[in-house]
Amino acid sequence: MTEPSGDRSNKPRRPVVVPAIALTALTVIGITALLGGLNEAPDEVEPLGQGAVLDQGLYDTKFVESRVRVERAQNDFDEDKRFLEVVFDVTNKGDETLPVGLPPEKLEHAFTSTTFAGSLVKITPAFDRDSGPFAFALSKGDETRQLHPGVPSQVILRYRLKDGQQPPDKVTLDVASFELTEGFNNAELEWGMVAEEAGERSYLPVIKARVTLPVKKGGTS
Amino acid sequence: MTVTEQRSEIAPARRPRRGNRRRSAGTGVTGVIAGLAMLAAAVLLQTKALGEGAMSDPLSYTGTKGEAVDARRFTVRLDSFTTAKKIQTSDTETIETGNLFLIVRASAKSSMKPYHLGQPVLLTDDGKRFAATDRVDSQQTLANKWVQPDIWVGGLSFFEIPPSALPGARVVFKLPPQAGPQEPYRPEVEIDLGLDEAGARKLADSPQDVYSIVKK
Repeated sequence: MTEPSGDRSNKPRRPVVVPAIALTALTVIGITALLGGLNEAPDEVEPLGQGAVLDQGLYDTKFVESRVRVERAQNDFDEDKRFLEVVFDVTNKGDETLPVGLPPEKLEHAFTSTTFAGSLVKITPAFDRDSGPFAFALSKGDETRQLHPGVPSQVILRYRLKDGQQPPDKVTLDVASFELTEGFNNAELEWGMVAEEAGERSYLPVIKARVTLPVKKGGTS
Repeated sequence: MTVTEQRSEIAPARRPRRGNRRRSAGTGVTGVIAGLAMLAAAVLLQTKALGEGAMSDPLSYTGTKGEAVDARRFTVRLDSFTTAKKIQTSDTETIETGNLFLIVRASAKSSMKPYHLGQPVLLTDDGKRFAATDRVDSQQTLANKWVQPDIWVGGLSFFEIPPSALPGARVVFKLPPQAGPQEPYRPEVEIDLGLDEAGARKLADSPQDVYSIVKK
């Protein structure tokens, strides 16, 4: 059946269809390759600013502001302390009292946390280890480490500024979120940080939002 | 080689036995029935199995205000409770809340050996668990006291809760949290405050202005 004369209806199609499919396939592959291949596209991180509200699953969070706060000396032996503070309004949406927690020291360890401060997985600029972080909630001006269920609380994250250290112009927080998942050794649902596998036995938190807050200077108390 | 020889000696002896079994059809039927019965029993038993996570649940002994609730290892009696807006914790310090302080006075004793109780939890009607507040130093609470055999010891516990948590609330007393491997079925005492909607509203609307825990 190389080049017969009669069968006109079947014959001319073949040389057209095959290259057409080949071309289409090539184009598709080409476009896919151009768009970054078949790897999962990196999740778009929500950029947020001052006053933004974020649903973190386990917490409803408002990013109120960032400021410099000076605590006056309580007595002669004490000295004035300056802090860079970030202020949040946080409501614990879980069923039980949870600790405020602290931001993780290493990003690789972040995913085990279910605390609010534990969801602030990266803070830029980075501060020295000896300047913090400190995190606590305020109830009528008094410090507490607890976030009771369904009760809105003001949470303060702070770093101590050294003598003569200039506070940054702005602070950027990478904020993770939480979801109900099956537990590690039972099928009961429990809260866990949304994380994705990054190599063998290591997980990195998924950044839900990137919040940039301008630092208000000159605040005293 | 000896092993194979032995087998060949034993094997012929077995054969007739099998033959016997096959012959009596009655035993076969009984076997099937017995098997099915055991299977059914196993399936039925399975429905009684503890649900996921139930293994780690504590053994709860429940009671009401004024009742001595025996949890075998220790006994707790909730004597009274009240609400306040402020708590004076020392000569110079008074803590304040925008919600409510619930102050619970309870007594406890143990049966065999001394214990410390952990900080209690307030369990609401809708299943929320409020931990005792950390704003009052635990040194000043019942959790700091030794609970000894047959000696009643009294103490206070403090909660900071919204008024909506009061109706139907229970206070749960238990042993302090364990490090390492967890003992299953630890005892706990759950005491109902006996607050209905009206009682809760009355308690929430008339909090004491300042509750002082300063020892004079």
